[in-house]
This record gives sequence, C-alpha cells and structure tokens, in this order.
Amino acid sequence: MAYVATRGGERAIEQSQRLFKAEMGAITPERVAETRRAMPYLVDRVMGEASLYDEDLAALALAQTGGELYETILLLRSWRTTQPRLAVADPVTQEGLFTHRRISAAFKDIPGGQLLGPTLDYAHRILATEVLTGTPHVPTLVTPAPHPAPAQQPSVAAWQAENDLLNLPNPDTTAGNDIPDVTREPLLFPAKRAHTLQSLARAETGGVLALGYAAQRGYGQAHPTVNELRLAEAEINVTHPRGTKFSAGRVKISQAEVVSKKGSQLELGFAATMGWNEVKVIAAATLDLNSAGAPKGSATEEEFYLYHTEGVESSGFCIHFKLPHYVTFQSSLDAMRDAKAKQAEPAE
Amino acid sequence: MDTAQSLAAFTHSEMLGILARVDVDRLKAFAEPLIDALGDITVVENRTGLVMLPMRDTAQGTNFHLGEVLVSEAHIRVGAQQGYGMRRGRDLETVMAMALVDLTVSIGVAHTECAAFLAKESALQHQEDHDRLCQVEATRVDMETF
Repeated sequence: MAYVATRGGERAIEQSQRLFKAEMGAITPERVAETRRAMPYLVDRVMGEASLYDEDLAALALAQTGGELYETILLLRSWRTTQPRLAVADPVTQEGLFTHRRISAAFKDIPGGQLLGPTLDYAHRILATEVLTGTPHVPTLVTPAPHPAPAQQPSVAAWQAENDLLNLPNPDTTAGNDIPDVTREPLLFPAKRAHTLQSLARAETGGVLALGYAAQRGYGQAHPTVNELRLAEAEINVTHPRGTKFSAGRVKISQAEVVSKKGSQLELGFAATMGWNEVKVIAAATLDLNSAGAPKGSATEEEFYLYHTEGVESSGFCIHFKLPHYVTFQSSLDAMRDAKAKQAEPAE
Repeated sequence: MDTAQSLAAFTHSEMLGILARVDVDRLKAFAEPLIDALGDITVVENRTGLVMLPMRDTAQGTNFHLGEVLVSEAHIRVGAQQGYGMRRGRDLETVMAMALVDLTVSIGVAHTECAAFLAKESALQHQEDHDRLCQVEATRVDMETF
C-alpha cells in the first residue's frame, strides 16, 4: 500500500472540528460531574477499555468527545502516557474483594450464597417515557437487611477443588515490575498468559462480546457456564517509604469464571477488568476457556481475538481508510483501465 | 482520654488506609492547623502518577495487570521524620494533607487530635461499609428448584 503526503485543507479541518464541538456546547465542571454521577456504568466501561482508572478523567473524556467512545478511549490512553508509574500494587485476590454482587449459574448452593447485588437482570425492560412529559423517574430505595453480607466471599473454585471437581492452580509468585506488561513490551504469540489476561482486561467490549458470542453459539469447542461472577471493589495496596503496606483506596472491578467439563474434571476460563462490566468479562472468560487448541484463524484463537479486540488499534485502522488514499486508488484505476484497454485490442 | 492507647488502637497501615478514604474537605480542614507545629517541612514529592494494579487469575494462578489507577502522592520530611500520602485521584492538596497527618503522628505531636480524628473517620467508614453490605444482603436469593 502506498501513502502520499498532502497539503491544504487547514481551514476546513479547523472548521470541521468547530462544527463537531459546536453540537456539544461548553464543557463545564458541572457537566463532567453530572456525567460521572449519572452514567457510572458507561464511566466504568471507559475506564476498563482505557486501562486507566479515574472517574473524573473518564467523565471528562466522555464530555469532550460527546460520547464518541473510540475517541474517548484514545484520549485517555494518550493522557495516560503523560503520567509516571509510581508503583505496582500488590496483586488483588478473589478472596480479598469487597463484594457487591456474586452469583453462580453452575451451582445453586455455593458457599456464602448467591448475592444478586446491583443488577437489572430480572427487571422489566420498560422505557420510562413519562420522564419526557415531565414526570421524574425516582428509584425506590433499597430496604436494607438487618445484618450485613460478609464483605469477603469464599471462592466457588476452592469448594469445587474440595469436592475433587478441579485442581486449584499454584499461585504465581511473580510480582511488581516482573509481571509481563503489554504496555511496555510487544504482544507476541503464543502469548504469555499475563499478556492474554491484561489484553482482555483492556479490550473493547463490543469486540469481545462479538467473538465471545460466536464461541458461545457453537464456533468454540467448549460451552461455558458461569461458575462465578463478581462485581466488587479491590484495595490498591501500596508501600509507604517506611515499608508499611496500606490501602490507597478502592477501585471497582468485575471478574468472571466460566466452567466446562473436560474429561473427569472441570476446566475454567477466567477474565477480569476494571470497572463493572459483566458482559465483557463473561465473553472474555469464554474466549479464554476456548482458547487452548483453537484452530488457526478461528474466533477463539488467541492471536485472532487479542488483535481484533484491541479497540484503539482496530478503530484506528478502520478510520484510517477515510484518509486520503488518492495515489493508491489512482494506481488501481490505472491498472483497471490498462486491463480494459488490453481487452479492447483486437486479437492478432 | 489515654492518647497513647488511642493512637495505639490503629496500626500504621490502618491509619494510612483510613486517611486514604477520608472525605477531601474534612481531611484538609483537619490537616491545615497541624502545619505550624511541625517546623520546616521539606517536600520530597508532590505529584500525580499511576499505580499498576495486578490481579491473580483463579483458573491458572497467573498474576496479570488489570490496568493503572490514577493516584496523587505526597512525601514530606522534617529532619529524619517523614510523612507520606497516596490517594486515588488528582488532588495534590488532599494527599499533602494526608502526608501532614502521617508526619504529625510520626513526630509525636497532636496525638489527642489525631487519635480523635482517626477514630471518628474510622467509625464513619465502617458505617458506610456496613450500610452498603446491608443493602447487598437484601439481594441475597434463596433459590428453589422444582
């Protein structure tokens, strides 16, 4: 493919940006605060895909781009590069999560029980059109239980291991900057598992869902059942200069395990992301479950799904086709005209 | 009040964890009057940056990176004593307030005030968690299968 530099159009470019921004009006602190307050799940999705957790920045990026999600993520990924990395926190473990929602579709009576948490899973999907005619839609408050749920919940997989249904893995001792990091080294195949899971954590939700859904519909080898799904908060455990470990705050995370039968044992697929986005982690865990031995070029082959669900690269490649390709296309036309001319020549 | 015992109720880790969650306005209002008693403060760092957050995968046990969290950091000194703060977000003033409280406790002044502040904020945070978990408990489902 050939590219060529072009000149001109500065005024048109300037005016086109003004036209885009004119539709949104002024971006104010109030608008950013309202975006953050009113759309927590959109903010969560953005933070996960941007791989940058800060609600204010995510809301600002949404306000600045008018909700054009690919531009939103690109803004945040770019801004991230201006910041130094101060530390690597201690690894988050499932057992340490402050859990708001925790369910299993595989077993009814899991240790700790099923906590639906915040969800619309069982809601009637009825658009509140009365709001448009002046009647506010005011949510009914939760009637709290007299006693709290446990903040931490046991692992379903640990209970399955006790019942000889699967083997628990040996915990990884890799920590800090020794953990492989796709933001600092290339993604090569076969991918390191840490690269695979990090890439899925920052992957574009729609892309992950499309490929995960393909696997769920039958284009994968294993049908998933949700073994455990959690929406939770994780502590950011860092180290004081005197050596004291402490929590610098909490962030929301989503985590999914999916399970399938493999011989006489169960096998697990896993995914997690920052923010609450359970569709993404279920679809991503399905891809992880189906990845081993997947045919080359199939939706569940890791090279296929990791490359094609990287939102900044895929959207960037897609929109680059809008940019001037005049020389390339002119070359194609020349070749086409030449072929036509040759066809029109009388045979000797 | 037995102030030594009151501050001893909190480990250094617990104290920092409480300060990292305290409401912005309350923390700044508490920390500001502490400055005069601390002497000449050297600011080692006061900046924003990122903390990479790893997680352990439950299927194969692998530690991997979930993504980065924006934090603010403050590191200050008076002589050999140091104060440190790290909190989520891009608020350099509030994280400096956290470091001031840490330094105050480290130097050993205003123990009564610090102990009372930590006790009050700890109680508020416990109550907040308790209230949320009571709401979560309300969503516990006991399924029957037929």
